[in-house]
Amino acid sequence: MELFGIWVTAFLTLCIYSFLYRDNPFYRFAEHLFIGVSVGYGIVLSIHQGFIPFAWDPFWAAVKPFWPGIPREAGWMGLLKLIPIAMGLLFFGGLSPRHTWLIRYPSAILVGFGSGISIPLMLQTFIFEQTRGTIEPFAAINAGTLSPWGIVEAVLMVVGVVCTLTYFFFSVEHRGPINWLSKVGIGFLMIGFGSAFGNTVMGRVALLIQRVDFLLNDWLGTIF
Amino acid sequence: MRRQVPLVLCFFFGVTIILTRFSPHPFSQSFYEEVNSWALIIFPFAFVLATVTLIRSHVTRIRRRSEHWQYSFIVFAGLIAMVVIGVPFGPQHPVFEWLFNNIQVPMDATMFSLLAFFIASAAYRAFRARTFEATLLLVTAIIVMIGNVPIGDLIWSETSSVKQWILNNPNLSARRGIILGVSLGVISQSIRIILGIERSYLGGGD
Repeated sequence: MELFGIWVTAFLTLCIYSFLYRDNPFYRFAEHLFIGVSVGYGIVLSIHQGFIPFAWDPFWAAVKPFWPGIPREAGWMGLLKLIPIAMGLLFFGGLSPRHTWLIRYPSAILVGFGSGISIPLMLQTFIFEQTRGTIEPFAAINAGTLSPWGIVEAVLMVVGVVCTLTYFFFSVEHRGPINWLSKVGIGFLMIGFGSAFGNTVMGRVALLIQRVDFLLNDWLGTIF
Repeated sequence: MRRQVPLVLCFFFGVTIILTRFSPHPFSQSFYEEVNSWALIIFPFAFVLATVTLIRSHVTRIRRRSEHWQYSFIVFAGLIAMVVIGVPFGPQHPVFEWLFNNIQVPMDATMFSLLAFFIASAAYRAFRARTFEATLLLVTAIIVMIGNVPIGDLIWSETSSVKQWILNNPNLSARRGIILGVSLGVISQSIRIILGIERSYLGGGD
């Protein structure tokens, strides 16, 4: 079975790389298979790691007492799960053009939940923590524990953050000092984008090396 | 009724979730856990609806004999294989794991590795140092790329140190600026959604 798996993987890998020549039936076969398998995997995971543990199990535990001879395991709270289950079922209103509006109910809950959770999360994780990280070295400067090079780095960090924010600040016209700050911000942004690009390229090349290593050693190793 | 009730639901869930995050009371925390599980229950239904939509679009392709319609059967084959084994027997079933490890994972990695070739051609177009900003981007990308591989330190022993300094200082400051801007944008957009000012998620119609 392992040998068969290696051959299947090698065939599909070569099918995808055949796209480097041009679009062809082998690539289209692998592409469509990948879509089908990925969607199937998503369904299985969302049922087994979402619906069953969070909806079915508590609901079943609450309903069980109605079956004779089965001891009661959980309180009536499990019946509350009927509400999200009913809300989830409303998504199927999207299958009928006349009932598409029913999707708004579960969507509103998900959007409201997402919006509600993102406000404190963004405040705490990104705004407070990132601001703290930016100005914290100045406490060390005040205490006299930061080296001269560390001071340069701390000042550079604040200048970079302020200038980058200035570039995205469109409430005032970018003229005079604001224009200069904005131009410095573009410089910092270019360094950030260059770093992101370099890291992305290296990540993709690492994946390519891994696939080529599989073809040369694991697959060709089964032949020679 | 069709628009007002969803707006009320959105407002209720948005505001109560914010309040629970600022209150350590056990009731508040258990309410948060309960609503969190509701979101996890509702989400799989949305996923099933998305799958049904995908199936319908491929059935239409087959029925109309659109270009490359035969490949829609391959989509169904992959989907059915995963669902028929995974749903009744669970993701730990050996056949499901075999399909995942020998089809999905390697194809996922290969698809992304394919981008290495296209990113190279994109880099050729983007990295022509015509302006000061483009030169800055070019030099940074080269230092980061060379600093990530052993040959970088063979060329100059400080290459990886310079790369790390760029990542930890100017790169981080730019990222912090972007993160702060994006976070403020997300917060303002969330407030607009909760208060019912932003209603695009409701779609058109009555």
